[in-house]
Amino acid sequence: MTPDNAGFATAAYTLAALVYGAYIVSLKVRERRLRERLARLESPARPASNRPAGA
Amino acid sequence: MTTASEPLPLARPRRDPLLGVAIVAVALVYVRALAFTPIEARQGPAQKILYIHASAAFIALYVAFALMAVCSILYLWLKDEKLDRVAESAAEVGLTFTTVVLLTGPLWGKTIWGAWWTWDARLTSTLFLWFLIVAYSLLRGAVEERGRRARYSAVLGILAALLVPFIHLSVYLFRTLHPMPILLKPSAPSMPAEMQVTFFSAFSAFLLLFAALLRARYRIATLRDLVASREEHAG
Repeated sequence: MTPDNAGFATAAYTLAALVYGAYIVSLKVRERRLRERLARLESPARPASNRPAGA
Repeated sequence: MTTASEPLPLARPRRDPLLGVAIVAVALVYVRALAFTPIEARQGPAQKILYIHASAAFIALYVAFALMAVCSILYLWLKDEKLDRVAESAAEVGLTFTTVVLLTGPLWGKTIWGAWWTWDARLTSTLFLWFLIVAYSLLRGAVEERGRRARYSAVLGILAALLVPFIHLSVYLFRTLHPMPILLKPSAPSMPAEMQVTFFSAFSAFLLLFAALLRARYRIATLRDLVASREEHAG
């Protein structure tokens, strides 16, 4: 007789999806943070830029 | 030797098409495996864990960690930072796949062995490899100087990869509960054709996912080195 253990298969597929999904999210978050850091490093100094010359 | 300060292909596509295709492929495999592949008579539906468990194991051991080892050896020879970044990326993505192997294996084992875990050669050596790759990642985070970090981790990566042939042969060398290979063996695969199609579809989809994750992780490594170079110049 075929055993009824579908719950184990569902749990395994769910766990695998969670692990891969969490890793994809972590990659996206890390990349976004690094791009923001790089943008800050490459942008010119802000404080004086809005003021008229000599002000 | 290349450095992260050279022009890099960092013009970011808003979306990652390869990752999108890989996610769709994996979703289709989930549907095929769970809804359209016959249930094995003796093991029941739990046998379907094979499609994600064995695919993840093949990719982690024979693709990810093999790539990590080859790139580490080449790095020690050529000192090209790109090779170090590929090795680092392959190790981390391989760690993710090994985590899936170690989580799905006990679920399958409980249904056929009646135990979540057994300290046999195959399972224990896979767990040991997982710890070695965690140590590899921690080492990378602990050493700041880029050249030293790459050298140390290349050596650890090569040593960790030496465990892969042992893991492969462990089911032949020792008495283990883990089954012998049913696909990677000299004789014909002992699996019905319909299940073979599902297995090879799953393997292809997860291989695509591996490529997409490796590419995304490599982009992060390149960006991180670029940020480090800019910060060195700035201050």
